Amino acid sequence: MTALVRQRLAGFLRTGRALAPVLAGLLALGVLYGGGRAQPAEAYGVSAVVLFPVLAWQTKILLDVEPDVQRRLAGVLVGAGRERAAGLLAAAVAALGTVAVALVFPWLVGGVTGPVHPGDRTLLAGLLLGGWAHLLAVPPAVALGALASRACAGAAGYGVAVLALGAVGGLVLGLSGSVAPWLAPPLLPTARALGGPLAVGPGLGLTGWALAWAALAVAGYAWRRRFRA
Amino acid sequence: MRLEGVWARYRRRGPWVLRAVEVALAPGEAAVVLGRNGAGKSTLLQLAAGVLRPARGRVADRPAAVGWVPERFPADQPFTVTAYLTSMARVAGLGAGAADRAVAHWADRLGLARFGPVRLAQLSKGTAQKVGLAQALLRPPGLLVLDEPWEGLDAAARELVPELVEEVRARGGSVLVSDHRGETARLPGARLWTVADSTVRETAPTAGAAMSVVELLVPADRVTGTVARLRAEGHQILRVRADSTDPPDVSRQGADTGPPQAGRHGDGSPDGGSPEVSRRGAGVPSAAGEAG
Repeated sequence: MTALVRQRLAGFLRTGRALAPVLAGLLALGVLYGGGRAQPAEAYGVSAVVLFPVLAWQTKILLDVEPDVQRRLAGVLVGAGRERAAGLLAAAVAALGTVAVALVFPWLVGGVTGPVHPGDRTLLAGLLLGGWAHLLAVPPAVALGALASRACAGAAGYGVAVLALGAVGGLVLGLSGSVAPWLAPPLLPTARALGGPLAVGPGLGLTGWALAWAALAVAGYAWRRRFRA
Repeated sequence: MRLEGVWARYRRRGPWVLRAVEVALAPGEAAVVLGRNGAGKSTLLQLAAGVLRPARGRVADRPAAVGWVPERFPADQPFTVTAYLTSMARVAGLGAGAADRAVAHWADRLGLARFGPVRLAQLSKGTAQKVGLAQALLRPPGLLVLDEPWEGLDAAARELVPELVEEVRARGGSVLVSDHRGETARLPGARLWTVADSTVRETAPTAGAAMSVVELLVPADRVTGTVARLRAEGHQILRVRADSTDPPDVSRQGADTGPPQAGRHGDGSPDGGSPEVSRRGAGVPSAAGEAG
């Protein structure tokens, strides 16, 4: 399966289509960090929210860039389950690359600063919490991108609709006072939590929430793909 | 490998492409799948290869190593021939050394060696088809599924296909081939499966059976369709000529005394009444000068 992950990443990077979501992400982050310096944890929390649709879009592109027949050839060689898993894994690896860029970016443009006031989080704590917030966004984003991929959604219009609905719904349903926040991955709740002190319990709760949401979405993807090679 | 009560369709509540298919292929056997365009040949092959899942029924005893050659190789990929084949060999589970050896062997055998550094998108249709053939053979297949393997290949490569099929069979593998070009005569000893009306019928082998030539008179505007239909039914077209100065007496004979015995279908299939030009099989001359 490693060879298939490598093949898909190579195909994604060599076509040049990988550039579009990365550039879009950088543009969004540029706007985000253009307003002045912020504490790392707080800034990274919002950065993860901004990055969620970008990572989902990146996943869709990665999965769609491979011709349908090539995907079927891979399925014949490694089996249907491994073929699907390799696609998700390749998308997760690509997403981690984008997350790394997003974590470094604010330091290059002066968008974050170390502790200024007494009681501010240490730099290390801010970096760790920021990394956690971004990692939390990866599984739901990959799952959403997979649901929007051509192999799952079918027609291109459906794929774009799933992606747009998931991205917008993820933000709208995550707002304070949402009637059904659990329908969306915990992006905004995580960003809000990073604005203040965060205890271990709520942190684990947010982690479980993100993983459960992603697991359900991946299950939906696998179910849809049962009859869609 | 057996297809047991297999039903297939492409979407829920969509029309059934195949219904209640019951066929089996033993190790060392080959079967040629015949049928008109859209009859379901590729669907049957993809079910056998594991590309598609049956909506009902099951495919049993499929060998672990399956090689599938799709009808159209997906050449729209950013890899060179060597990089692609090496990557596919690794995906198939070969180690680095074994993958390099397998790629070198099949590139040499299929005349792809000089295309190694060429990008897939720049290949001609026939060369791309050879890459498709090579990727299916990198790992010795227990089941080789070839969807219209002769399509786009040059004469030398067309001759190679039966050779490759025999090699897979000699190793104990099974081979399933679809054909709508009348190339079936290149695979003597292969079983004949005909896909029609969403079902698969096996046509009895004709090896050693007496053969007859039946001449038909067809309106000029229906020649192409008739030739295609007869080929799809497993008949071999020997020749198509424009003049009808030598009126066939077979139809008169058939009307007066019934169909000639030597020219009847051996399996009593519903198409037994179809005008038969010649059954495929041993001893039948190739279709030199055929048209359509």
